[in-house]
Amino acid sequence: MEAIVQFFRDYPLLWTLVKAVVLANFTLAIPLAVIYIERKVAGFIQSRLGPVHVGPQGTFQTVADALKLLLKEDIVPAGADKRFFYIAPYIAFVSVVLSFMVLPFAPGWVALEMNVAVLFVIGVSLFNVVSILMAGWSSNNKYSLLGGLRAVAQLLSYEVPMVLSVLVVVVYTGSMSLTGIIEYQVQHGWNIMHPPVMIAAIIYFVCALAEINRTPFDLPEAESELVSGFNTEYSGMRFALFFAAEFANNFFITAFAAALFFGGWDGPILPPIVWTFVKVFVMIFVFMWVRWTPPRLRIDQILRFAWQFLVPVSLANLLFAVALGVR
Amino acid sequence: MEILSQGMVINVGPQHPSTHGVLRLILTLDGEQIVACEPVIGYLHRGLEKMMERRPYRHNIPFTDRLDYLAALSNNLAICQCIERLGGVEVPERAQYIRVLLMELQRIASHLVFLGTFGTDLGATTMFLYAFREREMVLDLLEECTGARLTYNWVRVGGVPDDLPEGFGEKVLDFVKVFRQRMDEYDRLLTRNRIFRSRTQGIGVLPKEMALAYGCSGPMARASGIAYDIRKVAPYEVYDRVEFDVPVLEDGDVWARYLVRMEEMRQSLRIIEQVLRDMPDGAVQTKLPKVFKPPAGIAYSRVESPRGELSFMMVSDGSSNPVRVHIRAPSFVNLSVLPRLLEGAKVADLVAILGSIDVVLGEIDR
Amino acid sequence: MTIHQAPKRTKYNPFVYFVEGLVTLFNGMVVTWRNLWRPKVTVRYPYERRPVPPRYRGLFYLKWNEEKGRLNCVGCTLCAQACPTNVISMVKIGKGQNAGVSEFTMDLGRCLFCNLCVEACPFDAIYMGPAYELASERRDACVFRIADLAQGGEEAVRKNIETVMRLMAEEEQAKPAAAVHAPRGGHAE
Repeated sequence: MEAIVQFFRDYPLLWTLVKAVVLANFTLAIPLAVIYIERKVAGFIQSRLGPVHVGPQGTFQTVADALKLLLKEDIVPAGADKRFFYIAPYIAFVSVVLSFMVLPFAPGWVALEMNVAVLFVIGVSLFNVVSILMAGWSSNNKYSLLGGLRAVAQLLSYEVPMVLSVLVVVVYTGSMSLTGIIEYQVQHGWNIMHPPVMIAAIIYFVCALAEINRTPFDLPEAESELVSGFNTEYSGMRFALFFAAEFANNFFITAFAAALFFGGWDGPILPPIVWTFVKVFVMIFVFMWVRWTPPRLRIDQILRFAWQFLVPVSLANLLFAVALGVR
Repeated sequence: MEILSQGMVINVGPQHPSTHGVLRLILTLDGEQIVACEPVIGYLHRGLEKMMERRPYRHNIPFTDRLDYLAALSNNLAICQCIERLGGVEVPERAQYIRVLLMELQRIASHLVFLGTFGTDLGATTMFLYAFREREMVLDLLEECTGARLTYNWVRVGGVPDDLPEGFGEKVLDFVKVFRQRMDEYDRLLTRNRIFRSRTQGIGVLPKEMALAYGCSGPMARASGIAYDIRKVAPYEVYDRVEFDVPVLEDGDVWARYLVRMEEMRQSLRIIEQVLRDMPDGAVQTKLPKVFKPPAGIAYSRVESPRGELSFMMVSDGSSNPVRVHIRAPSFVNLSVLPRLLEGAKVADLVAILGSIDVVLGEIDR
Repeated sequence: MTIHQAPKRTKYNPFVYFVEGLVTLFNGMVVTWRNLWRPKVTVRYPYERRPVPPRYRGLFYLKWNEEKGRLNCVGCTLCAQACPTNVISMVKIGKGQNAGVSEFTMDLGRCLFCNLCVEACPFDAIYMGPAYELASERRDACVFRIADLAQGGEEAVRKNIETVMRLMAEEEQAKPAAAVHAPRGGHAE
């Protein structure tokens, strides 16, 4: 045992590699749980049961679906741009794994300790945008192209207010490292207590909904309008990778919000890792609750809302936070 | 140097999650704007009008179930009224009340389908499940009375085939009570939602003159300010003896059509309560001879189906089969205004506008 | 006619839009929250089945009359004539009051399940029952013969034919006897 620990202390890069592999598996496994919860919550809201057949209370349903997707025929449309078509799902997946690397699940449980973690996360989230664009363009399909372009417009527009609201937290805690932000909250109380951070949290949640393409911002994958948008032509495991990346991103964005606003792994009685998961799943439940209530916005309404409202308000909020925070 | 750019031609094919039935739309787009739209129909054509010429009058009634399959009883009623006018057949009073009761239940069921599919088109999938949960209740009631859930075939020439089952009135009143509360819930969930309003207000405006020129009827016309409901203008059955309001709005947009249909459901509940209260006893069918040969002539009957004015024209030459049957389907006429409505609209509005016209391909294609 | 007023459109104010959007969203979320706790309407078919009402129009059946020991059907073909799509065909045995059917075939692939045949029958012979699970893997499974339709199956069909033949034979015997006993005009015995 000691020898193994010493071995990894000599080769820290190898240890990071092991952690990366674990996180990649986690990114593949967590969508199974999140999708199951989504389907159950959706069913219960809609007066029906959701999956009940496969496994106790339907818990193996997503496993069965993943197996089915693995066994499907790999169809590449004729005339598709093969390089981008093949690569797009992997880029989306890798961006989520990279984001998980810097997320602290518990004190000391970080794959990669970075003192500019927030900046890193924002940068990596742009991989998602690129992969959607690649998927939409390379499918050789008008619907996918329309869906991809709309998705890119929406994602880029909502990055700006999201970054500005995250900056509010950075101003308050004075550090860009996620571990540092959580430690600050352990000492000074959760960030959400301060009014500018409250406004920033509301803006962040709206932008998070748009970043992960959830109703009311889910026009890029609206089934009734564009038959599934940018991933129309993807089948089998490639589609599963897109799907897994989207739901893992779901988990990550809420975990990021928990770390920034609600204290991460901070909490009284239970062990810290449990607190992370509790906070994440409560927020995921709220996201799902929001998803199944309102209709979706049109793309021009989405963009208008982002640029005419969210960007000015988040800028003003940042100034407000700086004015309050400068002691 | 001039840049030559053609509009992108998109085919919203016969199979698409948002076309209500097998309707094909060939859209010419300029970016996000629709420049031209050409609907292609006929995928469900079965030659009903010709089939009806080869069969005696009574045999044609089950075929009308398959016209507007979401409101089958209206079709049955329309053809039976036409045959009754041809043959001069009287309908007993109790049968008339039963017909009105079933028609109004059918109207609620059909509008619930509109509500569900319209919500789904706009993204509020939960609405679909709620609407169909209530529709299940209506279908259970109709199944108890008629025996079927979609193709009822429960109107005959001269009345209805059988009386209402035992305890039917109480069950209907229970449903009415539950449904009123559920409609308030729908209002809270969808009608008052700001996003829903911004998706539907001002979209797909149908001016009154255009609606009149194209011959639109039903909720489409009433949402554009044309105060015309056959149940009030030319009452049939016992509609002149029940009190109800007909919603008419001025705006003519998708929002107005939605509101008109929601209000119509509430008024249907009023009619149902009154009918149950006032229903007399008596016979339910005037017996006809086995071989029914109406005198030669032409008859035209029209009913207010949930989609508009549904009319039948039948020509008889004294033999046991009709010579010519023509069905004027409201969805066919309402759909003809779609290309004009889509001029200048965005692709994202296509779904909302098409959903608000509430077409059923069964009666468009016949 | 009533004219209802729809809420008027106001000039787009982003702040009002956002606040109103959030408020109405929360209002709608109350509705979905309430529905989260309501009993679910799913019927877990095929483990659970809902009972069908008495008037349900499912698979046909020919009524068996226990007192007479035969099917009620006399082969009058009124149902076949009432059918819009030529579903029914039958083979009649005997004639007059005691006739019956030895073959009664319904091609349910053509059937509209419209109930006109049931209404046309004056002898209470054909009804529509509660069976609706009629799907099959074979193409010719649509054609239902008399053994599939009669209440009591093959046994009932066999007994029906026996009874009808017996009644026909009795009638035959009764006729010459009546001719013998009838007084012949003019002759004295």
